[in-house]
Amino acid sequence: MKLLEELARRQLIVVTGKGGVGKTTIAAAIGRLLAARGRRTLLLEVDPRESLHQLLGTEPSGGQVIKAGARLSSQNLQARSVVDGLVREKLPIAALAKKVIASSVFQHFAEGAPGLKEMAVLGYALRTVEGHHRHKADVVVLDAPATGHSASMLAAPLLLSDAIAGGQLGEMAKELAAFIADPDRCGVVLTALAEEMPVQEALELIALLREKIGRPPEVVVANALYPSFPSGTPASRTSDGNAAAILDLWRQRRAVNERELKRLRAGWKGPMAEIPLLPLDRGPDLLAGVESALAEELR
Amino acid sequence: MSLGPLDQRMLVVVGAGGVGKTTLAAALGLQSARAGRNTLVMTFDPSLRLKDALGVGDEAREGAVRVKSGTRGRLDVALLDARTTFDRLIRRYAPDDAAAERIFTNRFYRDLAGNLAGILEYMAVERLFEVAADGNYDRIILDTPPTRQALDFLEAPDRIVNFLDSGALRLALKPWWEQGGGLKRMPMRIAARGVERIVDRVIGDRLLHDMVEFFRAFGPLYDGFRGRASEVRALLRAPDSLFLLVSGPGEDRIPDTLFFARKLKEAGHRVGPIVVNQIHPVAPLPRDVPSALAEGLSLFHYLGERDRRGLVRLRQLLARSEPLLAIPLQASPPTDLPELESLGRVILSQLDR
Repeated sequence: MKLLEELARRQLIVVTGKGGVGKTTIAAAIGRLLAARGRRTLLLEVDPRESLHQLLGTEPSGGQVIKAGARLSSQNLQARSVVDGLVREKLPIAALAKKVIASSVFQHFAEGAPGLKEMAVLGYALRTVEGHHRHKADVVVLDAPATGHSASMLAAPLLLSDAIAGGQLGEMAKELAAFIADPDRCGVVLTALAEEMPVQEALELIALLREKIGRPPEVVVANALYPSFPSGTPASRTSDGNAAAILDLWRQRRAVNERELKRLRAGWKGPMAEIPLLPLDRGPDLLAGVESALAEELR
Repeated sequence: MSLGPLDQRMLVVVGAGGVGKTTLAAALGLQSARAGRNTLVMTFDPSLRLKDALGVGDEAREGAVRVKSGTRGRLDVALLDARTTFDRLIRRYAPDDAAAERIFTNRFYRDLAGNLAGILEYMAVERLFEVAADGNYDRIILDTPPTRQALDFLEAPDRIVNFLDSGALRLALKPWWEQGGGLKRMPMRIAARGVERIVDRVIGDRLLHDMVEFFRAFGPLYDGFRGRASEVRALLRAPDSLFLLVSGPGEDRIPDTLFFARKLKEAGHRVGPIVVNQIHPVAPLPRDVPSALAEGLSLFHYLGERDRRGLVRLRQLLARSEPLLAIPLQASPPTDLPELESLGRVILSQLDR
């Protein structure tokens, strides 16, 4: 089956990868492709410094759901406010909830507790596709936070359900762990650059995903590739030193890409998508370009 | 006072992930050692290639390893690893082996403490304190963790101390924890009113129990942690400590870079040159070139223009006194000491301009 159709059947697509690899752009492109296939899609961004709106050409979300096209909307979600929301949901008496949220024990717990914020975001996505929120969506595409290893986000429910084993939070962790582990409901897209560190981290992340949630990503996207260097081009076909240096830089950067793609493929036998580096500034044009390249690759 | 990166006792290299911080830190370390200074580069997550270039393996997690650099000053590299540092600290500061063992076997410590927000950054700070206190080096170059919000790193000491201070420790000291860490039920009529009771209901007994046990065991170490955190705060603000802010090229990185520079200054740090790394060279629009090359050369023309625009814009936004170093994109990452050395020379030549 086509990869895009596979992704379109899910309720949650988590786009992971290190910071600076174009994760947000890939997440937005997937969101647009799913919306174009008739799925009501919500793009969730959790980085407090909003950047999704630049790509979509919308106003910043400021925490609100923003319309970004036919069947497509986006939202910047502050994990901390979701955690607070969780307490309000669990404690029906408003005054009591307010007291808990204001208490310093809770403040520090919510800020420092491992996995709690990650879990709250995943919980928000689950509640959205289950229709509990005012804004309805068939699928949530999550631009996962650029933490050291984003596997920790996906592993958070499992880890916490294990560590907590009780309480309402423990119940929620169990429910989320099952949601994440269900390949019919949740999918992972891993984004990387074909450079040494990003590939090293991508391979580690794939191993971690297998170990922590028991399955690999649906697809690995190699982003921002330099174009193939035409074979037979002499490195110094011109007497112009600058032009020769540019050709040489192109040849060598592409060689790095090819070497690292090869290394990635040696450790990852699943589907891959290769997206070229495009001569476009960050904005709707770039998104359109990446979207069409991705559509081609996921076909 | 000089803003030259090699005039400082401590150089902290900061910036977003993927901008080449670690490689620059290593290249500067090599130049520092060449200049006769005994130098330590502390780093988190170097690529295999860089480790190979330096001839350093995972043994550097346990302590500083000498690089066979053949320089006048010695060059050591230490890899920071949160768990290793945490374990070592506990072993060193626990009153006895049994107390250390209680912490090591605690489920909260084993499963969760390594993921505790800011712990990696905090441990870096701890290591920094150890090394600075030893005084074995003329210069320490600290490569900060690969987080987008690298500010986390600088706030980590405060955050962790706060967390220890008011959250879990306060809970642990509540009378409703019986001696020995067991959970004693409060009478319901009091409990129903207490916030703690609700926190307990939401996050569950077992986690609370484990946390309390952990912080109990951790108690004797706690004052030391606190004291060192505040000394490191001072160290990072000392007049001979300088922050080197590294940015990727292109206009869309500028807001992040300036935001970060401002935050650093607001926090009382000395910010040195802003280093714009991986700049594509200016390339002419392709004319009269074979069609096979036209598309690629157009891309390089665009990238060169993009990065040039970014530099011009950043220059406009910075005060005249704030130095800006522009480092060209290397054809490929350094694979050995000579290549690292030549990158270092590029940085220094920029400084001389």
